[in-house]
Amino acid sequence: MKNSSSYTAIAYLFLAPALILMGIFTFWPVGYNTYLAFNNYSIADGVATWNNFEHFKYIAQEELFHNALKNSLLYLLVVPVIQVAALVVAKLVNNKLPGMTFFRAAYYIPVITAISIAGVVWANVYKYDGMLTWLLQSLHLVPQGPDGQIDWLGNPDIAIYMVMIFTFWKGIGYYMVLYLAGLQAIPAEVEEAAILDGANAWDRFWKITVPMVKPTILLCTLLSTIAAIKSFQEIIVLTKGQADTYTALYYVYDQAFRNYNFGRGAAAGLVVTFFCMMLAAVQFRFFSEKK
Amino acid sequence: MKLKKMLTVGAAIFGFAALQAQAATELEFWTMNLAPKFNGYFEQSVSKFNAANPGLQAKWVDMNWDQIQPKLIASIAAGNPPALVNFNVPWVHEYAQQGNILPLDQYLGADKNVYLAAALKDVTVNGKVYAFPWYNSVSVIAYNKDIFAKAGVKSAPKNFDQLVSDAKQIKAKTGLAAFAPKMGNMVGWFYYAGLPVVENGKAVFNSPKHVAFVQKFADLYKAGVMPKDVFKMEFEQEIAAYNSGKIAMMTTAPQALKRTETDAKAIYEKTGVAPFPADAGKMAFGAWMMDFVVPKGTKDPAAAAKLGKFLTSDEQQVAFSKATETTFPSTKKANLDSYFQAGAKSADAVDQARAVAAKSMENARTLTIAPGVLPDEAAMTKKLQDEVQSAIEGRKSVKSALDEVVAAWNEKLGKK
Repeated sequence: MKNSSSYTAIAYLFLAPALILMGIFTFWPVGYNTYLAFNNYSIADGVATWNNFEHFKYIAQEELFHNALKNSLLYLLVVPVIQVAALVVAKLVNNKLPGMTFFRAAYYIPVITAISIAGVVWANVYKYDGMLTWLLQSLHLVPQGPDGQIDWLGNPDIAIYMVMIFTFWKGIGYYMVLYLAGLQAIPAEVEEAAILDGANAWDRFWKITVPMVKPTILLCTLLSTIAAIKSFQEIIVLTKGQADTYTALYYVYDQAFRNYNFGRGAAAGLVVTFFCMMLAAVQFRFFSEKK
Repeated sequence: MKLKKMLTVGAAIFGFAALQAQAATELEFWTMNLAPKFNGYFEQSVSKFNAANPGLQAKWVDMNWDQIQPKLIASIAAGNPPALVNFNVPWVHEYAQQGNILPLDQYLGADKNVYLAAALKDVTVNGKVYAFPWYNSVSVIAYNKDIFAKAGVKSAPKNFDQLVSDAKQIKAKTGLAAFAPKMGNMVGWFYYAGLPVVENGKAVFNSPKHVAFVQKFADLYKAGVMPKDVFKMEFEQEIAAYNSGKIAMMTTAPQALKRTETDAKAIYEKTGVAPFPADAGKMAFGAWMMDFVVPKGTKDPAAAAKLGKFLTSDEQQVAFSKATETTFPSTKKANLDSYFQAGAKSADAVDQARAVAAKSMENARTLTIAPGVLPDEAAMTKKLQDEVQSAIEGRKSVKSALDEVVAAWNEKLGKK
């Protein structure tokens, strides 16, 4: 007969490999980043000198960082859109119709495509004389010839939204799969009972599907919020931060690896982390099960 | 008994190894992104150097460009840096200012005169030479003869203003974009035009001359002489546009023509080559020089310098250019080698480009702002590029864009 404390010990033993790895590769870097944010770090000799809140004061009045943060927050617009779309798509491909497997796979392909490759493809879609312009011109939605050639990724008014569309395309399959798993956990009887009671498809979606996949919604919104705040890769492959698409994480990258100012980069990184955590807290409030 | 025997053997081996180590000073030199394509060249160079210098043992190590700096810093910190490291010009300035590489004047002595004056200037920081100039490149103009003929442009441009007016004529007559100059380095363009960027710790690029220069590009953009996405076009994209016949001229390094030769044979056959004309800055455009530096703390700097001089000698530089086919020496004599000029009259565009570019080498300067001048380089360059892009694409006036950047730069420079 084992007592409960030895069960706890065994539990920790099983957790240990994961905890050690997380400690080394997650908690330690976060902690060290926080430490660096308050230091001037010289890469040549590895010396860190304490400088209090200097970096934070600097970025607090740095116009470029404000702009970058604004763009990162603007990027959050993609979150509700992608979540609703992914849930609807999941609902559609959850039907037992011929060819459904094909659609599920088709939506998932962008997820497994390397972002650099997808970026090259989309750069050609968005070129001023690329596929998107061609499509709109063929449909006579924009004027023919050079007048209708919009520089989708070069115009600061629209460039960031174009990058968001790319993020949407790249991410929808991922969330769709998660929602699909959530949907399949809903017992068929509930839905059948609702049909018998005369609820239409719209009502069933909002009154049954959505509430029952709420935990999945929390997970997915959380993941996509963090992904949106962290948007960097899609920017670097599509616009390189030009045309008002510079994001907070791009700022971090530029400060660290082009300015070699690791302290300032770390401070900006910490601000980004703070925003991620704040938004996560808000979402837990809204979507988690009340106890 | 057994243990004793093992110890004796061990000691003997160890002693032998120590003797070996004493016999030859190992000189490790790092290059960037040259293996495995140029293994042959380096193996030959190493054995040649070792044969001529008993007691010295050169050893070649190649790395990716993004590995070199972290590894070098780590090795300096560990007190065991290599003898020589392949750097580009901005890195030389940065490391010289940090004091992490050695000045080389005392080792160079009279051998200084071997190198081109422009090349030496590139690696001179505070009056001292910090690197052995090595291979370099410059831009040439490769043009589509058919498009030129259609536009009625008789010959390649002799100066920058002619390049601009020819470009306008090409657009007007053929409807095609004329060229896609790299707009990602406005500071480089200012230097090229002989215009100052920072003087006495102040940004000065909003003078009428600067405004007029940027206005030229804005006019070209508005007229459609440059493609709409010119700000996104870099080396690869420019080659692709030229190879598909979408632009009349390619204004970039000669090695781009190698790509045209393999990827777009039809365009290659109607390609002519001309030098990229110099402007008031008297600089050949598009230079990006490679060099060797001696890191601080290296064991035997004199021996390292010996290897550096050997690797960048006339003879070795010509041999290396022959291996690459498209890069150029930074020494005076080597560029005059018959190898470079042999193709001057050739019908082949790569041969022509080689002759044209070799002649421009005397004026080849790497056009970047010296590191350390700008307190917050990433943010400041970004501000400049964003505003210039706005002005050239016609969203604001050139004057107000430049005024705004100068004000922002001066605020940061003032705090330095």
